[in-house]
Amino acid sequence: MAYEMTLITTMAISVLFALSLNFISGFCGQISLGHAAFLGTGAYTSAMMTKASIPFLLTLPAAAITAAILGFIIGLTSLRVRHDFLAITTMGTGFLFVGLIRQQEFFGGEIGIAGIPSTGLGREGFMALCIGLAALFAIFSIRVRRSWMGFVYDSIADNEDITRILGINASTYKLIAFVIGTATAGVAGALYAHHFRFIGPDSFGFVESMSVLAMVIVGGIGSTAGVIVSAAVMSVMPLLFQFIDDYKLLLYSALLFFMMRFSPDGLAGLCSRTYDKIRRRRA
Amino acid sequence: MTIKTTLLAMAVSTFALTGVAQADNIKIGFNVPLTGFAAADGKSALNGAELAVEQVNAKGGINGNMLELVVYDDQASPKEAVPIAQKLIEKDGVVLGISGSYSGSTRAAAGIFQEASIPYIAAYAIHPDITRAGDHVFRTAFVGEVQGRAGAKLIGEMLGKKRVVIITLKNDFGKSLAAGFKEAAAKFGIEVVSEYEYSIKDRQFGPIVSKVKSDKPDAIYASGYFFTAGPLVSQLRSAGIEVPIIGQEGYDSQKFIEIAGAASDGILITTSLDRDSSVAETKDFISAFEAKAGHKVDMVAASAHTAVHVAAAALAKAGGMDSAKLRDAIAATNLLTSIGTISFNALGEVQKDVQVQVVKDGNWHHHSVISDAALLAPPVK
Amino acid sequence: MLYVELTIQGIVQGSIYALIALGLTLVYGLLRILHVAHAALFTLGGYIGVIVTNQTGSLTLAIVAAAIIVGLVGMAVYKLAYEPLLSQPPYIALIASIALFIASEELYRIIFGPYGLSYTVQPMSGHIELFDGFRLKYVEILVISMSVVILSVLGYLSLHSRMGIAWRATVTDPSMAQAFGVNIQNVRYLNFFIGSALAAIAGVLVALLNNFVEPTMGSVASYKALAIIVLGGLGSIRGTLLAAMLLGVIESFGTIYLGHLIDRDALAFAFLILVLMVRPQGLLGAK
Repeated sequence: MAYEMTLITTMAISVLFALSLNFISGFCGQISLGHAAFLGTGAYTSAMMTKASIPFLLTLPAAAITAAILGFIIGLTSLRVRHDFLAITTMGTGFLFVGLIRQQEFFGGEIGIAGIPSTGLGREGFMALCIGLAALFAIFSIRVRRSWMGFVYDSIADNEDITRILGINASTYKLIAFVIGTATAGVAGALYAHHFRFIGPDSFGFVESMSVLAMVIVGGIGSTAGVIVSAAVMSVMPLLFQFIDDYKLLLYSALLFFMMRFSPDGLAGLCSRTYDKIRRRRA
Repeated sequence: MTIKTTLLAMAVSTFALTGVAQADNIKIGFNVPLTGFAAADGKSALNGAELAVEQVNAKGGINGNMLELVVYDDQASPKEAVPIAQKLIEKDGVVLGISGSYSGSTRAAAGIFQEASIPYIAAYAIHPDITRAGDHVFRTAFVGEVQGRAGAKLIGEMLGKKRVVIITLKNDFGKSLAAGFKEAAAKFGIEVVSEYEYSIKDRQFGPIVSKVKSDKPDAIYASGYFFTAGPLVSQLRSAGIEVPIIGQEGYDSQKFIEIAGAASDGILITTSLDRDSSVAETKDFISAFEAKAGHKVDMVAASAHTAVHVAAAALAKAGGMDSAKLRDAIAATNLLTSIGTISFNALGEVQKDVQVQVVKDGNWHHHSVISDAALLAPPVK
Repeated sequence: MLYVELTIQGIVQGSIYALIALGLTLVYGLLRILHVAHAALFTLGGYIGVIVTNQTGSLTLAIVAAAIIVGLVGMAVYKLAYEPLLSQPPYIALIASIALFIASEELYRIIFGPYGLSYTVQPMSGHIELFDGFRLKYVEILVISMSVVILSVLGYLSLHSRMGIAWRATVTDPSMAQAFGVNIQNVRYLNFFIGSALAAIAGVLVALLNNFVEPTMGSVASYKALAIIVLGGLGSIRGTLLAAMLLGVIESFGTIYLGHLIDRDALAFAFLILVLMVRPQGLLGAK
């Protein structure tokens, strides 16, 4: 069962990470191309702490806080630059994060951090924790979506200037979205570090940022259910595709492309359209 | 339409996952990058490993049982390597694992193999922490520090050059080479004039070349892989820098000579494979590899080939598939392989001679051998 | 003297950046799409350049072939990938573009092999001696002069040819241009053809500089070109050229003097973020 548990844990961590980006990009409409930096911040924080013999569970809030501090700073820049400029700024943050980690011997530099201690929860316990945290955040996401706050986010994503005219302090709401989203990514990072038990600068680069954004958009940006499904499937897709070796990444990218080309609103859109079609046929 | 394809693909893959393998074969797990940025080395490593399996099986296998390589593509990513290691151990029931991959994925997988008490051999991954995962993890390649020290001896003592510039590839490979080189530099009277770093993505070294030129060194110690070292060496030479350039096993590929062209002439490297060897194991390997792969041999292929032979010899000696006996048999290895006679120290690091190769007339050739056991002693903890 | 050399090296690198980023900024100016797959066309140009040179021995032919073939591929990319997505939010096209980029890298690896290709006889391998032994390679002279010539010709055409005027009108106000009888579709095709052809030429030149093309050759270009067009002020051609040159020179000095603090990519983005905080619209962007 260890293999299945590893896969499920991987899926749960990816779901949590993808939902954290969905909070910023899906709910609040701020596209981020550097989200892996926050995963990395959480992972490094937590790994350094458990290596210093601090109990794993205590490192979770610490990972959330350090990631949220970084997220707050990036959130501030989002007040200054917008749209595509913001997207590229977040991408820059990702490169800066990796570039700085690489040069710090304190963080293991190029060598990364190996031999991260086990969580002491056991494989089952750790899996349960990952699933639990992902589920918790999913429920939180759905509730926010249906609240007044979710309504404000919708209107910011739709048209920020009009939101401001309505007398809503869009800046505060945007900052809150960044802080919640990045703190969650930090927690996902702590889980990531203790799942793979080896982290290095390359684990949190541009590729990782792109693949999490792809998960969110394939799921259907803003749709919690869609993102859960796509993150779970896409995180283990390379493993499922092992049997076609050479064409694995090609197939992955082709699926991604055709998804965008033929169902730009992702799985969520695909499902609702299929559902409508069936209903219309019945009627 | 797309959803159907996805479902179909998933259905097919589940079938593939549960597919039954042949009985009675001894299975060796092999994680290797076959797609993505590291695919070139992965391909060579896979060819080398497959060749070794064919050679063992052609001689009747291990006590009548055939070897079978179970291969998974890890894209050189720790994220892929962890579940792959789990799968090899649990689903495929491999008796031991071999990494034909880079450091990150190998380090991550090593922990899983160690936890399951299944031996794991890293063919050419260089990360110092790999063997520190535990007593079941071994490595058939030199750690960077050892090779760096050999480079210092080559430059300071054998070539007698004292003012050296270091150009370091900024990853675990380059960094540990530079550390070893600097550690031994003083011993051989070398003065490190300056050190420059570049990223694995760089192919254009104009600024570094200009600066090195103004440093006027006696020799250059430059780490890199063929795809960075080829352009680097060619750019150093075409700027008029004629001093010796010393590289390492990362250069060790025909592709380096192809890229650097005439500039590659006279370049020295420290590596594992001696192209002009008169030893039968090495000669056989070189000719058989070239016949199989259709291109010239490289260090990565030789290392993967060696790792499989180490595994095969240990399996024969252990006389069964008991993990503990197998581990002890690997630890006690003393085997003549395509990269010379090798054994392991207490940490599982390889002990062997360093081959110095030189480019002459568009091919790698024998230059000298460094067999200073004290200098080449790998770390023990 | 070292500073002069570093500056020249920066200009060589900057010229390459300019050729790549110009196509990207043309696409952005017209369609508001961050066209990551542009870097895949750059790689394709490199491959065609090496293959044609090795087969025919003519570098000129190789450059022309690369520009035309890749230009046509660029038009096809627009038609098949982007046109159907124009009504969608921009990040949809961005993800489609990234998917296209990964798929292309994998295709190059499968078709041309994982080891990459080199020129059998490297063209233009000579050099001229400038001062105190400073050498400028023929390739480097070619890189600088190519980009100067191409960019000035394009600049002239955009100001003085019918097509150029139509193009500028479309960028400024598509619906107004259409009302005046400009065929927007043709402008877009032309745009993709020219942009992709420029990337292809950059690919051939980089292949010459390194004597090497590989499947992942475009990976740096894929994000750095984005940084450059944002730095220049999205859609501004002059801004893009300025940003490309500035970044080339900054990286050149940074590699030597800041290399121990921060790597080359991070340096580029640190500069970018710094500029955006002061000027959120980029160096020469309109507010």
